[in-house]
This record gives sequence, structure tokens and C-alpha cells, in this order.
Amino acid sequence: MKPWQKIVLYLAIVYFVLLLGPIAGLDLPRILKEIAQSPSLLITQLLVGLINGAIIAIIALGYTLVYGIIELINFAHGDLYMLGGFAALTVVGAFGMQDGAPFISAIIPMLVALLVAAGMCAGLNVLTERYAYRPLRNAPRLAPLISAIGMSFIFQNLGLFWGGLRSFIPIMGNTAAAPKSFPDLLPRIDIFRSLGIDTKVDFTTKDLIVLVVAVVLMVSLNWFVQNTSAGKAMRAVAQNRDAAKIVGLDVDRVIVLTFLIGGALAGAAGLLVGLYNNTIVFTMGFTAGLRAFTAAVLGGIGNITGAMLGGVLIGLLSALSDQYLSSRWTDAWVFGVLVLILVFRPSGLLGENLQEKV
Amino acid sequence: MQNFWKALRASSILGAIGAVTVLLFGGWSSAVMGWLLGTAAGYTNSHDGLWPKPKIGAQMGAKTGLILGIWLAVASLVEGLIVRPLSGQTAISFPQALQYGLLGLVMAVVWSTVMSTIQSLTDPVQRRRMTWLLMALFLVVFPMVDQRAATGWIATVIQILIFAMLALGLNITVGYAGLLDLGYAAFFAIGAYTTGMLSSPHLGIEWNFWIVIWIAAAVAAIAGLVLGSPTLPLRGDYLAIVTLGFGEIVPIVFRNLTAIRIVEPISGLFATLLNRPELAICLVGCEEPLNLTNGEAGINPIGRPSLPFLGTFRSDNYLPWYYLVLLLVVFSVFMINRLRVSRLGRAWTAIREDELAASAMGINRVNVKLLAFAMGATFAGFAGAFYASYITAIFPSVFDFSVSVIILCMVILGGLGNMAGVLLGCVIIMGADRLFLPQLAQVLKGFLNTTVLPNIANPALRDFLAISFDPIQMRLFLFGLVLVVMMIVRPEGLVPSARRKAELRSEDPVVNESLADVRSV
Repeated sequence: MKPWQKIVLYLAIVYFVLLLGPIAGLDLPRILKEIAQSPSLLITQLLVGLINGAIIAIIALGYTLVYGIIELINFAHGDLYMLGGFAALTVVGAFGMQDGAPFISAIIPMLVALLVAAGMCAGLNVLTERYAYRPLRNAPRLAPLISAIGMSFIFQNLGLFWGGLRSFIPIMGNTAAAPKSFPDLLPRIDIFRSLGIDTKVDFTTKDLIVLVVAVVLMVSLNWFVQNTSAGKAMRAVAQNRDAAKIVGLDVDRVIVLTFLIGGALAGAAGLLVGLYNNTIVFTMGFTAGLRAFTAAVLGGIGNITGAMLGGVLIGLLSALSDQYLSSRWTDAWVFGVLVLILVFRPSGLLGENLQEKV
Repeated sequence: MQNFWKALRASSILGAIGAVTVLLFGGWSSAVMGWLLGTAAGYTNSHDGLWPKPKIGAQMGAKTGLILGIWLAVASLVEGLIVRPLSGQTAISFPQALQYGLLGLVMAVVWSTVMSTIQSLTDPVQRRRMTWLLMALFLVVFPMVDQRAATGWIATVIQILIFAMLALGLNITVGYAGLLDLGYAAFFAIGAYTTGMLSSPHLGIEWNFWIVIWIAAAVAAIAGLVLGSPTLPLRGDYLAIVTLGFGEIVPIVFRNLTAIRIVEPISGLFATLLNRPELAICLVGCEEPLNLTNGEAGINPIGRPSLPFLGTFRSDNYLPWYYLVLLLVVFSVFMINRLRVSRLGRAWTAIREDELAASAMGINRVNVKLLAFAMGATFAGFAGAFYASYITAIFPSVFDFSVSVIILCMVILGGLGNMAGVLLGCVIIMGADRLFLPQLAQVLKGFLNTTVLPNIANPALRDFLAISFDPIQMRLFLFGLVLVVMMIVRPEGLVPSARRKAELRSEDPVVNESLADVRSV
């Protein structure tokens, strides 16, 4: 293609985006006007996007770890995170926590919920790997993918079933399929204003805690993979499974470890999202899973830093889209980004180029 | 003797299925099941000239039918005398239950014998012709039998046939061309919405169904080309994810196209800069924004087809609908069968097995893949058009991801790339989903309410049983289980195509490797 042809093509694309974009909320003059009117709203939305992005990044890490090692899109990962949320809600409910319970009394229940959710999800993930994916290790690529879709459906149904256990877990509410309200346990002290800075930007301790926990999880994972011998083994298996076997690594154990870590992260994300959004529903895993997967692909699947970056970007995109485009179209925009990346740069932002293997 | 055990085993599997059906539905369903399963048993026990002479075939068929019939008769008695009172329905008298059971037995024996005899005819041409004739007869008289037996399955059978069309279409994309499409419901939605927009008072366009169905198929095919084209460079699981993304986007778009107003952007920019709104050239929805799809509420009502003599199809008369959809399915089977053995069909097989080798042999990968998407989408367009005018209302929530997965489930369960298998998978899954589970739920509910719940003292347990013990809520679980188990136990499906089986069972790393890369040249 000659340069001028390329320019004409791009102009045509821009024209069509401007022509049809307003249907899906992409109305640039209106958006610019709104941003000019209240810049602090933009910053608030960016913060919301950052925190949601951090949670998405934790889920995306599970995708990316598993993909890096066995090249499987673990479709069930999103639903695993949903189950983590349900486990956390069950624990918090068992402690009798309610909206506005004092923070001090909520610390222990939240820690227990974190342990239970992470432990349960890690266990489930390992079991899934053992019985649904491992038998298909040498099958054609699509077989484990379909198996993973099946697991996703099974998990989703488990969530529905769990939500219907009102007779044993009162906090689940009356209807099985309805969204569950998660008690608001984190204190909401406005940080900027209590520091004496006068601003319209909302940033509370609740946001800070969620953000800090998410960042700590990510940093410690990164440290684990880079600096421990188990992490080194994971990287070795990801690079070349056969060679890793030759040098004496127990590949199956490394894979189990990967699923264990990914599952634990999903469980932690389930708790965090419950604490942050104060509502969980059994279908949330599917959308969140797709967003997280988009994030993993955006950052370059198999790449840990990439997953974090992608998560934050997707979080920002959806928060900005909720505010300035149209919340009804947010999912379409996110999936549109997914399609665009896969088509134009399947290796993602930070991933290395994948070469043709014959 | 060995033959006898084989007959016993085969007819016992069918017998168990029949017995469960009879236990759930009761009444004359035993006769219908005897009729259907008797034929099936006759076929499986002596298909394609297993026995040397028609006489021996008839004997074997009668034996098989007898075993099957005993299952049905026993189930009839148990249903009438035990299950009914336990689940809170009025029990029926012993002679009546016996009557139901005996008719089931007779039907099973007769039809098993007939089918077995036909299958044992010495002349293969005659054999095939008679088999087809018998099957055609079955499909044609099914609604009458259903009506006489008062089983009321016809509405479900119409739904099964709609999904059969979808499964056949998806089979082109996934089974023949090997392109895993996780967003197939999008094309179904596009067909349905095209029909909805073109034949409903909602937009003021009310065209004839017989024209609209072709337009819907054409629009779906074009959508297949458009949505398929960005996926061309992708392979394997990335392709699956992109199609999944499209499958998610399409319902969102239909849900949200409720207030469309398109302004020409350059003039719009000037209008904003100069602050003179009248400069903007408005293209669509000028006076008031155009409501194209009516959002969550959906398009309603949608025009029904009409024929001379029969008049407009009515919703309470299933017969014309049944024959119409049957015709569509037969047409699809015929077309797809011709496609499969055509040059294009063989090209699909070639790119599925090894894309690089196929393109080295001079196959145009781009065209072949796009045509696979487009042809698959076409049949979804037909199905969508029929569905829209059959239900006379469409909503965006009908076309979500689970529909795509259910259709995929049918294709995988039956056997990728094999039409008979796909149809079988469709009958099993839709039958289980739309026929068995609701009925099972009803019977279980009756059983719980009359027999179990009054005897349970613990209120929490009682509440749990009353609300959580609902088979309909287990649908997703069952579908997921089918996918996982099939992948592990029998990835080639119940009725595999020989070629596909060889591929899926292959231990040859080269085959796996070619599926393993993400992006081709």
C-alpha cells in the first residue's frame, strides 16, 4: 500500500468512527465539553478505573500464568473468581457482619474470608486442572478449551446453587439468581479532604485499601516468579516444557503450582470486588473473565507485567466509557478492543512476537 | 448367543431411555416411545444387512422389540400405579396402566420387526430406499401420532428442529472447516432481527415472510463475511475468542439501538465550532431518534407466514409450523450434504487438517474460510427468520453466550463433522433441555410436595429442598458436564465421522503443533 492510500484509508476509518460513533456514545464534542466542565470528575473516574483495573489485573494474572505455561485459555477462571466472591460473602455472613460494622471488628472476618476464598479457589482450580485439563494435555488445542468452557458453565451453576442456599446462609437473600449485597466493611474516610486539601476528587480509605491489597498481591507474585526457585521452575516450564523435563523438573507439579497460585489470586479478587462494589452476582464471572482475558491479551498473554498493565488499561477504559460514552455500551467497547488487539497485534503491548511454527 | 447379548445391550440402553420418558410423562407416551425407539432399536441391531435374510432379521427385530417393550410396559405400570400417587397426581387403575404398557410393547415389537426386516433386505438399494421411505413417513405422521397420543411434544419438536438447523449450520464452520465459532448465536440473532425489522409494525415495514426469510439468510451470510474477515489471520483459540467477542457485541448492539441519530461529522464539527446547530446535516433520526430494535422489550409482534388455502399460520395450530420447519431442515440437510462433497467442502476439510499444506496446494484460504463462515451463518439466518415469526417476538436476551454454547454442545456431543451425529446430538440436548428437564422438575416438585416435605421436621432443610432442588436450575451444570466429559471420554462425539475421529485421536505431535500456533503467515 502506498503512503497516500494508507492516509486515505485511515481518514476514511476516522470519518466512519465519527459518523457512527455517536450511536455507541462516542460523541467527541460532547465528551470534550463534559471534561472541560468538570475535570475533577475525570480524575475521580480515572481513580475508579485504576482500582477496578487493579482487580481485573489480579484476575488477568490467573489467565496469563496458565496460558504462559500450558497455552490454555482457562475459560473457567472468571467464574472461579465469582465463586471466590461467594465464599467470601459466606464467611463474612457467618461472622455476622453487616453494613457499617466497625472496621476493627471486621478485620478478622475479612482475613478469614481472604484465606477461605483464596484457599477454596486454589483447591478448585487444582482439581479442575487434575480432572478436566490434564487428561487433555496432549489432545488438540481446542479440546481443553472446550473443556474449560464446560467448567465455566459448571462453576456458574454452582454459583447459582450457592446463592440459593438461603436456608443455611441467610446473607444470600431470598432469590438464588438475584445479586447479593456484600456488607460494606471498609471505612470510607475521605483522604484528600481529611488532609486538608480542598478538592472535588473522591478518594476514600476504602479505595486506598483495595488498591494497596491489589498492588501487594501483584508485587509479591512478581517477586515470587522472578526470585524463588519455584518461580524459576514456572518460567522454565513456560519457556520449554520438554527441556524443563529433561533438566529434571516435575512439570506436572509446576503446573499444579501455577493453577494453585492463579486460583488463590482469583479468590482474593472475588473478596476485593465484593468489598469494593458491595454486590456480587453469579453471572459476574463471565463478564469479568472476558475483561480480564482482554487485559491479559492487551498486555501480551503470558507476560506478567503485561497482564497488570492491561488490567489497568481495561479498567480505565471501562470507567471512562461508563462515564463519558455510555454504560450500556461499555461491554461492546471492551470486546471491540479485544477484537482489534487480536486482529492487529495478537502479541499484545508487551508480548514478544509469536512466530509461525510448522 | 453373542448376537443375543448384543441385542439385549443395545435395546436395554434404548429401553432405559424409553422407561425414563414413560416414567415422567406416562399415558400414551409409552406407545409413542415404543414407536420411535422400536424403530431405532431395529436399526441399531441390524443395520445395513447385518443378518443374511429378512426372515432372520425379523426374528432378531422381534426379540429386540420385545426386550424394549418389556422396559416400556414395566415403566408404564410403575408410572401409573406408583409414581403418580407419590407425586401428587391421581393414580390410574391397573387395567388402564396395563393398557398403556401393552400398547407400548406391541408398538415396540411391531416397529422393531419392520425396521429389522427392512434392514435385512438383501438388495442394498432397496434397503436404503425403504429406510428413507420409513423415516420420511415417520416425520410426516409424527404430528398426528402426537395428537392422538396427547403427549403434546409437537411444540418442543419444532424448537428441536429450529436448533437442528442451527447445529447443522455451526457444523459447517466448526465441523467441516475447523473454525471454532463461539459466537454463533450472533448470526441467529441477525437473522431473527432482520425478520423482526422487516415484517413488524414496529418500523412500519411488513413484508411477506416468504421474501423476508431469504433476505434474513442473505443478511446473516453477509454478516458472516463481515465478522469472519477480521478473524482470517487467527487460528485456534484466538479465533474462538474473537468470535466470542462478536457473539457478545451483537446482542449488545441490538439491545442498545434504541435511539439512533446520525449527524454528518464534518458539518457537525463546524456547527459546534461556529455555535450554529442548524449547520449540522442530519442523516438519520432527525425529528426524533430512530428506535430500531426497541431494546430490552424487543420487537413484537412479528408477521407470520401465510399460504393460500391454509391462510396465515396460527400460534395454536402447530401443524403448518411443523411442516415448514421440517421442510427447512430437510432443505438444509440436502444443501449441506451437497456442499460437503463439493469442491468447496473438500477444501474445508483440507484447511481444517493442515492449513499450510492446503494453501500450498493452491486452495485460496481467505475465500474458503470466509465461505465457511458465510454458509454457516446462512442456515442460522433461516433458523432466525423462522424462529422470529414462530415466536412472533424477539428479545436480545434470547441470543446470549449460553445459546452459542448449547449449539456447540450439540455439535460436539453428536460428532463434529457428521450430520447424522449432529442431528442426534441436537435431539438429545434439546430433548433433555426442553422436554425432560421441565417435566422432571414438575414430577419432582409434585413428589417433594406430597411425599418428602410433609415428613421433614427441620424447617431449614425443608426450605432448602423446596427451592434448591430444581432440575431446571441445573441446566448449565449439565451442559458443562457434557462438554467436559465428552472431551475427555469421546472427543469425536457419539456418532463420529471417521475422518474427524482419526484427527482427534491422533497422537502425532505434528498435527497438534499445527493447531498450536496463534497466527499464520
